[in-house]
Amino acid sequence: MGTTATKLPKDQLSEYQELTFLTKQEILLAHKRFTELLNRNDRQQINSRVPMSKICTLPELKSNPFQKRICHVFSTSEIKDGSLSFEDFLDLLSAFSDSATLEIKSHYAFRIFDFDDDGTLDYGDLEKLVNCLTGESADTKLTSEEMNQLINNILEESDIDKDGTVNLSEFQHVISRSPDFVSSFKIVL
Amino acid sequence: MRRRKSMFPHRGASLGNIELSHDEIQEELEIDTRELVSDLIKLPTRARVQAIRALPMSYQERRYVRGRVVSVKHSKKRDLLPTCCTDCHQQTSLFFRRFAAGVVTARKRLVIWQDALKEISGRFGTSVLTYFRFLKWLLMFNFVSLLINFCFIAIPQIVHSPNVTYTVNFRGLELLTGAGYFTQSVFFYGGYNGAVVGNQPSYNMQLAYFFTIAAYLVLCGASLIYSMARSFQKNFVLVSGPTYGGAWRLLCSWDFSVVNEKAIQNHKNNLGIQLKETLSERLQRKATASTSTVLKRLTLYLLAWTLCVSLAVGSCAGIYFLQVEQSQNETQSTQVLINDLKEEASTLIVPVVVSLINLIVPLIFSLINKMEHYSNPRTNIYIGIMRNVLLKMSILAILCYYWVNDVPKQISCWETFVGQSVYRLVLVDFIFCLLGSFFGEFLLNIIGTKCFPSIGVPEFDIATNVLNLIYAQTLAWIGIYFSPLLPIIQVIKLFIIFYLKRVSVSMNCQPPKRTGRAAQMQTVYVALLFLPSFTGALSLVAYTVWSLKPSRQCGPFQGLDTPFQAVHQWMNTVQNIPGSEWAWWIFEHVLKSELFFYLITLIILVVTYLLWQITQGRKQLIQTLREQIVNEGKDKTFLLNRLQSIQKQRTVNAAFRPHEFTERTYFNQDWMNTLPLEM
Repeated sequence: MGTTATKLPKDQLSEYQELTFLTKQEILLAHKRFTELLNRNDRQQINSRVPMSKICTLPELKSNPFQKRICHVFSTSEIKDGSLSFEDFLDLLSAFSDSATLEIKSHYAFRIFDFDDDGTLDYGDLEKLVNCLTGESADTKLTSEEMNQLINNILEESDIDKDGTVNLSEFQHVISRSPDFVSSFKIVL
Repeated sequence: MRRRKSMFPHRGASLGNIELSHDEIQEELEIDTRELVSDLIKLPTRARVQAIRALPMSYQERRYVRGRVVSVKHSKKRDLLPTCCTDCHQQTSLFFRRFAAGVVTARKRLVIWQDALKEISGRFGTSVLTYFRFLKWLLMFNFVSLLINFCFIAIPQIVHSPNVTYTVNFRGLELLTGAGYFTQSVFFYGGYNGAVVGNQPSYNMQLAYFFTIAAYLVLCGASLIYSMARSFQKNFVLVSGPTYGGAWRLLCSWDFSVVNEKAIQNHKNNLGIQLKETLSERLQRKATASTSTVLKRLTLYLLAWTLCVSLAVGSCAGIYFLQVEQSQNETQSTQVLINDLKEEASTLIVPVVVSLINLIVPLIFSLINKMEHYSNPRTNIYIGIMRNVLLKMSILAILCYYWVNDVPKQISCWETFVGQSVYRLVLVDFIFCLLGSFFGEFLLNIIGTKCFPSIGVPEFDIATNVLNLIYAQTLAWIGIYFSPLLPIIQVIKLFIIFYLKRVSVSMNCQPPKRTGRAAQMQTVYVALLFLPSFTGALSLVAYTVWSLKPSRQCGPFQGLDTPFQAVHQWMNTVQNIPGSEWAWWIFEHVLKSELFFYLITLIILVVTYLLWQITQGRKQLIQTLREQIVNEGKDKTFLLNRLQSIQKQRTVNAAFRPHEFTERTYFNQDWMNTLPLEM
């Protein structure tokens, strides 16, 4: 594959290990997969980025309805195009790994579901979320009436301070009641 | 450390709403970072690494924070003690951290079936994965038991075995029945003999046998209690509270580990349909049921339960009488002909009948279950599980009753006989499991896809499959005393079942439509494995060891009144060794006295009561805190409304009398300027 030319230096690797929840093997695998996504010319450069369209071709993300949101949340790109550097990619895998804490996972889940990036889940965010979850086909898509009722139910149950939106701490409170979340918020290469 | 979350809002998104200049934001962030760094420095090294890792920021920001922490730390170090001692300490701590990381990596490498599990969760989600995880966990148990038993019981016996002359030739059927050729082997209790094996370094077989089995059972019990408690703590305590509705579950329902395109489409469709159903149900539920329908439903439930219980009792009675009749035949025929192939094959009748009952009666149960129409699908599942457990455990109970009550009176080497019975049950159960997944899943799939497409592809029934595993494990635990190498069979069985089910699931089944609560179900399974299954097997073994007379002609305990007497005799010899009188004293006055156990029970009861009270108190506290949160929310909305009205008033006032306003409301002004920042 020719990827052997760009190996991770040892001190870099140990830094990655210290700052993420990933093990050495996982980091090396991530590096291999990441360099495969890069153009041949970019492989030698350290800070090269992979565009969002390419990240979404990974089999682990290919069919995920939240793939674009995931890229946007983890991207540190200045122009907000959702492209990922290797460090962003590691951040993604670290948050979705087995050993990440509930706090980290719920934090990123919140940001993924916060479609308009305003720091709260409001009516519009919840509507988009439900549409992502149920798909677009005719017999499963909810009618506007059903949608309205569903979102009102969600808000009624999780909006503790009754301000019409779900904020981060309310979201984390909801998450803490669902023990399945930690095991289902997981992407492994 | 809790405050950290609020310190780093999402890239200043919420800060941006408040009109702050760029410099001010920078300054604010700098102060936050400084506070964070000073918080982190106070932590010990390991906790600090963990805390930095768990910061919800991007990698660059984490590296920046870590760099600052390290630099502050270094400057402090230089001021304090630039000796080799601190350096050495740092080196060792670094070494230990690296070592721990290495151990974690090695452990991850050793885990078997990692890829297979990933593939399963990628196609079927976490709920089906629980079955395979459970299987893997059981495999580990059996592997440990195999290792222990093989090392401490079987190897010494094989090495020092007095020459056993095999009177019977190997014919092949023994693999199924465990009789004949195997009877004298170390596979069963009867293959072990002699109190002391070997001459020079003498090895007390009785003690080895007793303590190995005891150690394994204690180990199993401890690890079961541990995992059950952890699971309960993680999955049930958190869930308590007002969980009406369930629309909130939608926020955490997506399974990110599913990667298969078709599976995701399926999942989406199911979710959509389910949502529609629950929404319409919610509207309908407002109409309350009348008394006559309630009565009708209650009679239906009562009828269903009587039917199920009578089925279970009937099958138990059938099995018992079949056993009794067979043993009568056997005792009559043993005088005439000992080694008849047909005779040996007939011992397989009982296991086959038991497995047939285990296969068919649950199907009837599920039919009954379908007729009952429980409104809550969860009640439906729990009731199904309860009935199945009742059936399986009562069958095992009747078999055990026969083994400890009737068998010792009739058969000379009765432990071996029991061991062989268990062996047959385990093996036939395995064969039925193979056939079950072939006919149950493969044929249903063929029928569902080719002949009657309306039925559809069968779902993978997690509950039934897990219950079968629990049943098999109970058998293995029961048999551990009578056939110490039974875990070999169990390990092989589980190993094959894993691959078989993996293929069967991916070829024949579709993921279950109703998912969710996988973690809670797993807790229920572990609890079931502990409560009827392990405790039942343990009490049987304990009863055998403490109060049954071991057979006179074979086994390590021949000639004793009870197997436990071996420990008595050993203690008597210990008493004579100078310096170990205390051990004897403890044995004689503590372990053998009723008072001791009475006191222990009392203490445990008191502690349980205290802990229960503490949990009650905590529950009240949680309730109060919840109310407090709601009140705070109300306060917040009230203040916001108040603020808005005052602001409106101010603009009105300012429009009319601008100069008077500044003098009169200077107190309020301060308050108003600070408040929006806090919100």
